[in-house]
Amino acid sequence: MKAKVGVYVCECGPNISEKVDIDKILETLPGLEEYREIELVVKRFGLLCSGDGKTFLEDEINNNGLTHLVLGACSPRDHDKTFIGVCKKTSLNPFLYKIINIREHCAWIISDKDKATEKAITYIRAGINRVLFQSALLEKKLDINPDVLIIGGGIAGMEAALSLAARDRTVYLVEKDDHLGGKAVLLGGLLPRQGGGPAKIREKIESVLGNDMIKVYLESELEGVIGFLGNFEVIVGSPGDEEKKDLKVGAIIVATGSGLADPAILEGLDYSKTDEVITSMDAERMFSKEGKISLKSGGDPKSVALIHCVGREEKGYCSRICCNYMIKIAGYLKDQSADMKVTEFHRGLCLPDKADQGFQKEAEGRGVEFKRVRELTITGTNVRYEGMDGKSEGLKFDMVILAPALEPSEGTEGMADLLGVPLSESGYYQEIHQTTNPVATSIEGVFVVGAAHSPKGITDSMLFAQASAGKILSQLIPGGKITPEIKVSEILEAYCTGCGNCLDVCVYGAIYYDEGRGISVVNEAVCRGCGNCFGSCPSGALRTKHFTNTQLYEEMREAIR
Amino acid sequence: MQEKMENQELDQFKPKIVGFLCNWCTYAAADLAGSSKMEIDPALTVIRVMCSSRVDHNLVLTTFFSGADGVLIAGCHPGDCHYGAGNYYARRRYALLKKVMESLGLESERLKLSWISAAEGNRYAEVVNSFSEKIRQLGPNPINKMSGL
Ligand SMILES: Cc1cc2nc3c(=O)[nH]c(=O)nc-3n(C[C@H](O)[C@H](O)[C@H](O)COP(=O)(O)OP(=O)(O)OC[C@H]3O[C@@H](n4cnc5c(N)ncnc54)[C@H](O)[C@@H]3O)c2cc1C
Ligand code: SF4
Ligand code: SF4
Ligand code: FES
Repeated sequence: MKAKVGVYVCECGPNISEKVDIDKILETLPGLEEYREIELVVKRFGLLCSGDGKTFLEDEINNNGLTHLVLGACSPRDHDKTFIGVCKKTSLNPFLYKIINIREHCAWIISDKDKATEKAITYIRAGINRVLFQSALLEKKLDINPDVLIIGGGIAGMEAALSLAARDRTVYLVEKDDHLGGKAVLLGGLLPRQGGGPAKIREKIESVLGNDMIKVYLESELEGVIGFLGNFEVIVGSPGDEEKKDLKVGAIIVATGSGLADPAILEGLDYSKTDEVITSMDAERMFSKEGKISLKSGGDPKSVALIHCVGREEKGYCSRICCNYMIKIAGYLKDQSADMKVTEFHRGLCLPDKADQGFQKEAEGRGVEFKRVRELTITGTNVRYEGMDGKSEGLKFDMVILAPALEPSEGTEGMADLLGVPLSESGYYQEIHQTTNPVATSIEGVFVVGAAHSPKGITDSMLFAQASAGKILSQLIPGGKITPEIKVSEILEAYCTGCGNCLDVCVYGAIYYDEGRGISVVNEAVCRGCGNCFGSCPSGALRTKHFTNTQLYEEMREAIR
Repeated sequence: MQEKMENQELDQFKPKIVGFLCNWCTYAAADLAGSSKMEIDPALTVIRVMCSSRVDHNLVLTTFFSGADGVLIAGCHPGDCHYGAGNYYARRRYALLKKVMESLGLESERLKLSWISAAEGNRYAEVVNSFSEKIRQLGPNPINKMSGL
């Protein structure tokens, strides 16, 4: 059967009709019929994207029994969806249609009308040639699963869980520790502006545990994940426990928090060697348990040095929360004994909240000393520093408390690998875009919140958690359907040698090696159709649907005829 | 006589250039150049691909063997690829392609790789116009003559 291709050139009002000679195009194209052994229907129309235009096209497809449709019109970025919609109302598969951009790429950029017309003919011929080699692809519609997996039961994970459960979503909250609450529940106190202190965190834990919509898995971890937005299948397991849980969810929130850099690796700091040098987290835990901070050797310290920015240079970023909590820790010490000598060694204070400057002034008022330094070394509990005036001085303290930089929590790399989410240079998860979509990742349906996203205090961690819940509630509507990408890559078994080249280039980890068959296989649910793997295959085994070699070659050949 | 012929041929030389543009950045830049009504050399015909990384060696070489005088591959700036890292692969393949072209007796300047973001309509026009000019200076693809195409 001969292909019957409908070619319709849109006038786009004066936009196209005044700049290219549409009649000339219509006269020239039939020349293709013999050479391609096809039948053409060639017409012009005022505005194809208008209501009338859409009805016109629908009638043309039906009445002429078109096998392919080519439109000489505007950018696919403007109206591809419109015309795909038209095709869907007919029996013509939308993948057998192509829009040719003769407006932006001819009419508007070539002022000589003859030249613009000639160019438009070239584009349309190339388009006809491509469309003849396109294949019908069938869209799949899948039910959306509105449930959510949250990894990490710190403040961020709990907040996201509560927000989602409030809208009747089933939430699976997976926590690797034996308790919820993350770091926040271990702290001795919160900032005064955060009112309420650790009791507030414990209240949150109780609400999570008492919520029927939230299923908490303690001492558990994510072990496998496949799928995409709306349809993830995940495996959750506990180390040492054979039995695994298979869960189906529509979205995944990563809330695994931050860790603290190990100060032992930093030069000039005697953290591991001296008992009286501890980290901020040690101090918080001690204060939380005992209500005071004591020397390891027993008794209260009379003088304490608080060292900010430990490892900031090495990490290459500011951890944002340390200046604040170090002032808070100074407060614990002053509460303990008003005449204790408390000195904060900092490198320029980071006090980002509206209440923070006042908080710092108040500490100064209570006799906490702030010293801005350029250089600093610690030997035992002796602090040697160079001030901003260039003068060096050494001071002896009973105790030193360090604020190590925050860093991606342990296991972040493995988790990123499992999820296919890229990491940024800092080692934290890479968000899709800081200004347009800061909680989403490049894997649709996977979100990153709280301190796992970047160093954050509790308030910001909660904000991110709430934002992710909002995104999920608006994207995954119960009863909704989702259409996965169908222009994906596939591997032809007969040609694949199993060399594995393609596995290495796919950023999404969409290709896996099938040991049994000795070939590589594309997981269509994960593939995004970029076509990168295609160029890596030495055997011609790869095919990127709708962007196949034949399709591009045929388009290209006509383009330079 | 011979020389005159060649000059005439050169005057009439209408270069044929294929531009493989990534859907997310450079194709959008080409649209922007269009809607800003910039004058752009008609020598280049755009072929849309999803990512610059789809443009493999075979596609480029086949384009030259089919008679194209120049090939432009253009995509998102480093770090901005819609698929994370596709353009880094494109860059690697491009470097290798240049070497292959020279060994085939094709001037490697006939192949160009550019990063043009969706907002850079201006830059798109500049790149296409200067590349078209360059190809005009280089003259027809020598393969056309060799194979008598
Ligand atoms: C010394 C110190 C003092 C601080 N003081 C304050 C303060 O006063 N005010 C303030 O706002 N902020 C303070 N912070 C910051 C605060 O702790 C964080 O903002 C908060 O803990 C971030 O919450 P989160 O849920 O994102 O991460 P986290 O609290 O770190 O929780 C992450 C959770 O994920 C779990 N997890 C990690 N990996 C996995 C995995 N692979 N699988 C399953 N579970 C996993 C962890 O066990 C943990 O329970 C302080 C931080 C420190 C270090
Ligand atoms: S097309 Fe892209 S996303 Fe799909 S398998 Fe190939 S490299 Fe991976
Ligand atoms: S690169 Fe080609 S031959 Fe090698 S594993 Fe992938 S599909 Fe198979
Ligand atoms: S999407 Fe533009 S270069 Fe990859």
